[in-house]
Amino acid sequence: MIELTIDGVATSVEPGTTVLDAARAAGAAIPTLCFDGRQDPFGACRVCLVGVEGAPGPVPSCTTPCRDGMVVDTRDPTARRVAGAVVELVLSELPGPPAPHTELAAVARDLGVGEPRWPGAVHQPLHDDRHPYLSFHHELCISCGRCVRACDEVQGAFALTATGRGFEANVVAGLDAGFRESTCVSCGACADTCPTDAITEISLLEVLP
Amino acid sequence: MTAAPGGAIIEPVSKNLVELIRRHHAEEAPTALEVLKEAMDARGVITDDDRRVAAERSGLPEAAVYGVSTFYDDLLQPRGRRHIRVCTGTACFAATGDAHVDALRDGLGLELGERSEDGATSLAETVCLGFCHASPAVRDGDTIDAGPGVVERILADAARSAHEPPPRSVLGEPVLTVPGGWRGLARARAELTPEALLEAVEAANVRGRGGAGFPAGTKWRFTANAPGEERFVVANGDEGDPGSYIDKVLMEGNPALLLEGMALAGHAIGARHGFVLTRSEYPLSKPALEAAAAAARAEGWLGDTFDVTVVEGAGSYVVGEETALLACLQGLRGTVSARPPFPAERGVHGQPTVVNNVETLCNIPFVAERGADAYRALSPGATPGSKLVCFNERFARPGVYEVRFGTTMRELCEDVAGGLVDGRAIKALQIGGPLGGILPADKLDTPFDFDELAAEGCMVGHGGIVAFDDTTDMRALAKHLLHFGAAESCGKCFPCRIGLRRAHELFADGAPVPRESLEALLETLELGSLCAHGSGMPAPIRSLLAHWPEELGLG
Ligand SMILES: Cc1cc2nc3c(=O)[nH]c(=O)nc-3n(C[C@H](O)[C@H](O)[C@H](O)COP(=O)(O)O)c2cc1C
Ligand code: SF4
Ligand code: SF4
Ligand code: FES
Ligand code: FES
Repeated sequence: MIELTIDGVATSVEPGTTVLDAARAAGAAIPTLCFDGRQDPFGACRVCLVGVEGAPGPVPSCTTPCRDGMVVDTRDPTARRVAGAVVELVLSELPGPPAPHTELAAVARDLGVGEPRWPGAVHQPLHDDRHPYLSFHHELCISCGRCVRACDEVQGAFALTATGRGFEANVVAGLDAGFRESTCVSCGACADTCPTDAITEISLLEVLP
Repeated sequence: MTAAPGGAIIEPVSKNLVELIRRHHAEEAPTALEVLKEAMDARGVITDDDRRVAAERSGLPEAAVYGVSTFYDDLLQPRGRRHIRVCTGTACFAATGDAHVDALRDGLGLELGERSEDGATSLAETVCLGFCHASPAVRDGDTIDAGPGVVERILADAARSAHEPPPRSVLGEPVLTVPGGWRGLARARAELTPEALLEAVEAANVRGRGGAGFPAGTKWRFTANAPGEERFVVANGDEGDPGSYIDKVLMEGNPALLLEGMALAGHAIGARHGFVLTRSEYPLSKPALEAAAAAARAEGWLGDTFDVTVVEGAGSYVVGEETALLACLQGLRGTVSARPPFPAERGVHGQPTVVNNVETLCNIPFVAERGADAYRALSPGATPGSKLVCFNERFARPGVYEVRFGTTMRELCEDVAGGLVDGRAIKALQIGGPLGGILPADKLDTPFDFDELAAEGCMVGHGGIVAFDDTTDMRALAKHLLHFGAAESCGKCFPCRIGLRRAHELFADGAPVPRESLEALLETLELGSLCAHGSGMPAPIRSLLAHWPEELGLG
């Protein structure tokens, strides 16, 4: 077992446990955006930053393994400041505020993120409603990769991919001709994990006459 | 899933994709990237049919192939029958302030990334052709032209190959600038056990020349000890730093030395196969290495014991980062993965892999032949060994030079490279690539070494030295660097993906830049980014803020 201290409390975990898992098990609240416990950690959003004694800067808790003697501070002011700024950047790329029920909106509230300090280009609206049950509003995609990993790791359907690079990054199904023309099996795992409602399941009630 | 020793359970790329690729590799199938590159070379644009064929031949899912086809510059910019690529790298910026880009755009009547309607001509942006000694550089088909009059020649359809100065050495007995002779490998195979060679590389304290300066011996020991069915050596020849052409000179002018270094790494860690990843911006590197490998096989230096495959990239700066490099080698999108696991534990096909810079590996034959003490004596009192540096066109004698660590920047700039052309004065230097800070002229007495440059917010990096003369507009330089940063961001982590775009936007028009909000953005990039692209791009901007605040138009 590995012995470490999280927010002043001594705790012990199995080797291989990440700081995020250990901290959550110990009752600490760490916000995350690209993390989904059903998938391997990805390390993209950087919202899960925490302070670790002796580290040169904040550390992403989801991809950092616990080590013996580690002293973790989930409320480290620098880590919280940077995580908040990252969420501010995310909000700045969306055409409007996130829907209040989404994970993104909850994380923004948690971190007390206000009006973005860095306005600039936003994603242009692009709606794909060709599939009977799955709708994709590309402008809401924040490239967290959860849908791609859900499709690949959980479902094994390989229907989705990340596209582009830098600010132009997004996600598409198949050869960008919609879910229907891809290997999508309509399982809805992508919509289920999406933290922004970029991919949503159109409820049967809406499509039935 | 594999638990790294005492570490987390993290996959560099999806485990399912890794498995698909491993199976197809066993059948010697091409990678998706290779098939897509062929399609682009043949037809100048990639269609869905090409993607389907690439999926079929590589075994990758169609969606994943689509993702690859939207990542690399070479696959994105349509090609006409005549394809012209203009360098927008920092050395070319230092030469013209980008006037050559505008002149080509106007003269051809094409935007960057545009192909004329009749398909005759296309213009594309490329970042560093390795002709920084003769900037500005333009590639017309496979001819790389550079220097005064290049734009006029391209517009007259009269491109000619630019001359490349041979590398020179200030050492009495050059190490990296003389042709490799396989003496190190001969000695290792005859008298050095893998353990003895490992110990020599550790004792020599060969520090990585790719940017981070990590000790090669430590990395090799870690890889040699990591559990795995087989092991691999990867030479990082992606030299993407605008203003650097050191690895180009090594791969094209001295390929046998690199192959020998790789074979020695294989001997030390127990690997039987190596890969070199070259850049498509250097079209001569892959053929030069393949010819040298064929000759080495004929002479028995390469073959059953250790052999090498050369793979060419497709235009992406961040592919030089080691986890992105491994993804590119497997024909995937060149995005960065969180570490651990390090390539030393899980690299090519999920097996323990040494990833070293080309120049790092080129140091190894000397260590194997002559031993650690002789190596340490090359740069007395400083980082061991010698270092290749290269100078941009602003210098009177630009080129690649082998120098000692610890030499002052002034000696390098004035004595070695002859000062600037036309009696111009140095305003500043960017050393070691785009993630390196900028040294003002009044700090030229700083020694060229890791700690001394770090104390000035700068770095050795990969060793490219780009001088900006007294006419350089520092705000334009900030905008140039941030354009590069944003355009090359791999898009994986949020701070860099969005933050570099925002930083560029702050400088894009003439509006005053609010200092406080710029600094908060730089901090977010520095402390939040997944890799050194996002965390390093603020370094030169910090230097500009520290030394030339009045030129930045702060508000
Ligand atoms: C954005 C980025 C670009 C990089 N580009 C290169 C490169 O072009 N060549 C290189 O050798 N290393 C590059 N690196 C460093 C590699 O990740 C890695 O550290 C290096 O290849 C290890 O070799 P070395 O220890 O011999 O230096 C880059 C790193 C980052 C973050
Ligand atoms: S569609 Fe949703 S889950 Fe998929 S990458 Fe975008 S934001 Fe993440
Ligand atoms: S810092 Fe930039 S280049 Fe590096 S992983 Fe993040 S997005 Fe990719
Ligand atoms: S949750 Fe850790 S980086 Fe996204
Ligand atoms: S050739 Fe243009 S920067 Fe190197």
